[in-house]
Amino acid sequence: MIDENLMIAGNLMIDAKLLAISWIATLTPPWIAGLAAIPIGITLLYFLKLRREPVEVPSTYLWATTIEDLHVNSLLQRLRRSLLLFLQLLAVALAALALFRPGIRGKENELDRQIFLLDTSASMQATDGDESGRTRLEVAKKRIAERIDAFSDDDLGMLITFDDRPQTLQSFTGDRRRLLEALERAEQSTRGTEVIGALRAADGLANPRRTSEAGTTDVPVAQAKPADLVIYSDGGFPPVTEFSLGNLEPTYIATGQGSSANLAITAFSAQRNVERPGFVEVFATLTNLSDQSASTTTTLRGDGEFLDAQAVELEPREEKGISFELETDAATQLEMRIDSKDMLAIDNTAYTALTPLRTVNLLIVTEGNRPLETGLGTSKVAGISRTDVVPPSYLATEAYRERAKAGTDDLIIYDRCRPSTMPRTNTFFIGALPPDARANGDEAGSDEAGDDEAVGNEAKGGDSEGIGSGDESTADDSATNVDAATDGDAATDGDTAASQTWRYAGAAEPLAIIDLDRSHPLLQYVELYSLLIVEGRPLVGPVGTTELVGADIGTVMAIAPRDGYQDLVLGFDLITQSDDGGTQANTNWYAERSWPVFLLNVLRHLAGAAEASSASSYPPGTTVRLRVPSQVDEVTIRRGDGGFEKRFPVGNSGLVEFIDTEKPGNYEVRAGDRLIELFSVNLFSPRESDLAVAEELEIGYEPVEGETAVSEGRREYWRWLLLGMLGLLGAEWYLYGRRVS
Amino acid sequence: MKTDPTELLSPELLSRLERLELVSRKVFRGRLKGERRSKRKGQSVEFADFRNYVPGDDLRLIDWNLYARLDQLFLKMFLEEEDLHFHAIIDASRSMDFGTPTKYLVAKQLAAALGYIGLCRADRVRVSVLGDEGRRAPVLRGRSGLFPMLEYLSSVQPIHNTSLADGVKDFLLRTTGSGVVVLISDLMDKGGFESALRMLIGRRMDVFVLHVLSPEEIDPPLRGDRRLIDVEDQDATEITINQFVLDRYKKTVQDFLGSIKQFCARRSIVYIPVQTDVPVETVVSKYLRQRGVVR
Repeated sequence: MIDENLMIAGNLMIDAKLLAISWIATLTPPWIAGLAAIPIGITLLYFLKLRREPVEVPSTYLWATTIEDLHVNSLLQRLRRSLLLFLQLLAVALAALALFRPGIRGKENELDRQIFLLDTSASMQATDGDESGRTRLEVAKKRIAERIDAFSDDDLGMLITFDDRPQTLQSFTGDRRRLLEALERAEQSTRGTEVIGALRAADGLANPRRTSEAGTTDVPVAQAKPADLVIYSDGGFPPVTEFSLGNLEPTYIATGQGSSANLAITAFSAQRNVERPGFVEVFATLTNLSDQSASTTTTLRGDGEFLDAQAVELEPREEKGISFELETDAATQLEMRIDSKDMLAIDNTAYTALTPLRTVNLLIVTEGNRPLETGLGTSKVAGISRTDVVPPSYLATEAYRERAKAGTDDLIIYDRCRPSTMPRTNTFFIGALPPDARANGDEAGSDEAGDDEAVGNEAKGGDSEGIGSGDESTADDSATNVDAATDGDAATDGDTAASQTWRYAGAAEPLAIIDLDRSHPLLQYVELYSLLIVEGRPLVGPVGTTELVGADIGTVMAIAPRDGYQDLVLGFDLITQSDDGGTQANTNWYAERSWPVFLLNVLRHLAGAAEASSASSYPPGTTVRLRVPSQVDEVTIRRGDGGFEKRFPVGNSGLVEFIDTEKPGNYEVRAGDRLIELFSVNLFSPRESDLAVAEELEIGYEPVEGETAVSEGRREYWRWLLLGMLGLLGAEWYLYGRRVS
Repeated sequence: MKTDPTELLSPELLSRLERLELVSRKVFRGRLKGERRSKRKGQSVEFADFRNYVPGDDLRLIDWNLYARLDQLFLKMFLEEEDLHFHAIIDASRSMDFGTPTKYLVAKQLAAALGYIGLCRADRVRVSVLGDEGRRAPVLRGRSGLFPMLEYLSSVQPIHNTSLADGVKDFLLRTTGSGVVVLISDLMDKGGFESALRMLIGRRMDVFVLHVLSPEEIDPPLRGDRRLIDVEDQDATEITINQFVLDRYKKTVQDFLGSIKQFCARRSIVYIPVQTDVPVETVVSKYLRQRGVVR
């Protein structure tokens, strides 16, 4: 019994805390003065309007005696005892109170400074914000607005929104209107969630940095200003470890119902079948992110038309892959949709596209290489490339220099030769090394380049006698071009120089392939273990070089980046010259099925015709860098649903940076009428699709309990006051009417 | 408006009243022998005492038997039966015409009842109103005086705004001798009731005051903002009647009643408050009997 009483007393104390009524002064002093004058006016009017009903009495003798002493303070008596007047004054008092908007604030011990962190990520689009089907973001904004409304004059507020990056919509201010306007500007995004940036933005004034000058005391650079950090989120982000709250008092307002069912497409791509190029395989992954099994149908559409559909049944938390096979040659924009409705719509639709193979310009510098020409002569390759074959002497011409400088070609293949300076495009060196990168400056067309007669088919250095005898003659022709690698002592060069140049790491010798980087697009579907190679030399590339093919003697194929371009170097020849001046094969690769496949890969990925498979998919909000043919000056980017279309100029390096990727969909890039690129934007984020609301956050190893924001909102009482006032007026008139009747 | 004489006293009441008798606490000399035994020794059949004969006494009263036995002259004394002068005066001011039934009607009923008792006992009865109308009030004796009395009462209307003091003074000027006086009034006179009562006492009269008040006066059913108009002098009093004022009024009424009671007690005046909602039969047979007005 005693315990019960104590509990009741405790509850009352809590209630008393909650009942800290706050007022919003919406009136300026003149208005308040005017308000104060109203009761006086009413009192005067009350006496003016007084209508006394005459009544005959036998004698006023006793009445006169009765009110005799009342006459002394009759006015006060009337004021004190007149129910009607009292009711009227009470009504006005209630109206005046209502003007001050009394309400209850959710928390008692708030600091003067409040920082609102509003999650605008994709998961906040879920329509389980409240029972009426509003989104989490709308509910969170409403709650913040209520909190701002509850500000006292001394309170300062700051508003930061965050998805995968923070945005400070309003820095500290006491102006409620500005805060509310900033809140109005907060928009739903389609991005993922990354809270650390927002925390750092909020951190500034609460935890000022400290000086770290040697010899001085470690002091803060400014006075710390503690603040309440109110996070309105569903908690869909990982624990934040690299952050210390310091003077920030965190409060986590969990937004959303949490138990919402959601089906999501978490992956979607399309791939042309290599063996049957006319067929396209479409893959998708569906995830059931609820604790209940679900069944639905999925619909696949291509260019807006129905293509196929499948029924899917998913156990709780199950991830299931589905596939479709289509027959199409053309570029196609695909859209897949989950037909059932759930709380989060953005992950119910996914996009991908198949781009047409692009025509690439190819320059082959060779004295003649039949396997190469044969490999590039297949119908597949011929369909996507426009090939110029020139002899190595062409490298010395002005035409070549112009061509190399302008980057007209998408790929230049140097077969057993090399230029004096590297061109502004991707290159493929066969049996030769790229020139020293340090010499590759703007003075590309300088005298030095002229001196280094660019015919460097000295690949078979002086110590390669075992293979053929015709090497020397060519070496003589380009006597001035002495490659360090031919001496075999390149390893003695300085490390800096070595790290920036291609060189051979050993002499030419027979080799056997032992390793293959199949994950690299260039070696996709390529099988090389059955190759026979007469001889080759191990390669060492500059920093950033990726080994593609490893042999027992070392790397024999490698690729390295160069100022935005890529250089592929093959450490062995395809053919060599025989003693009789004819050619002989150095490898049987040309006879393998992998040879044209490899060349196709080179064209696709190195020459830029890589769109043969699925178009790239980007998460919403990322910056998409598009490489467009260099002769294109302007591109038009248009979203598949027609909701977006804009022209962009092409930069010097043929790059277009596109940032308007907020909305998921297929985007096509056109130069005039020609479709040159397709890409898609998809959420594909199981974390965002998971609508479970975190019960607590972990910030800087400190758990922050989620609060149900029900008690946190401001409860307005002015409406009740006005209703009470109307009731009082009604009662007053009723009483008045009854008295005079 | 004339009242029907039969309205004043019902036959049942009349029969009940016949058994009652007016009581006077003082001995008054009546002009005629009545049915009342006087303290004065006189001629009646009822022996009272003996006394020595003194010359001049009526020889007819000498007890000759005693003279024969004792040889001394003794006068045989008998209780003398005499009549009583009974006056009932009614306040016929406008203020009496208030209440349901009106105070004036109740006053007339009381006066008629008491008068009839007196008539039945052969007392000398005069029931009159204060003011000029009182002058034509008949002096009655014997039961036959009932109808003239009722006739008179029914003919007089409460329209005479005579003050209590003036009315009593006028009454006293017209009345000689003493007797029993019953003043039936609401005593609501702005000039006060005291002087009127003092005059009555000064005439050595046995004074009874029947203070008639209606329930509406004791607990008025008034609320709100009112303009009270005195029916007698048209004096207006503006007042906002709320519970506070009402409580004060009730207190004033009680103070007023208390002051009258105290005034009367000090001067041997029998004061009997009468509420108009109490039947006249009850007032006469119960209250007036208890207070010794009748027996």
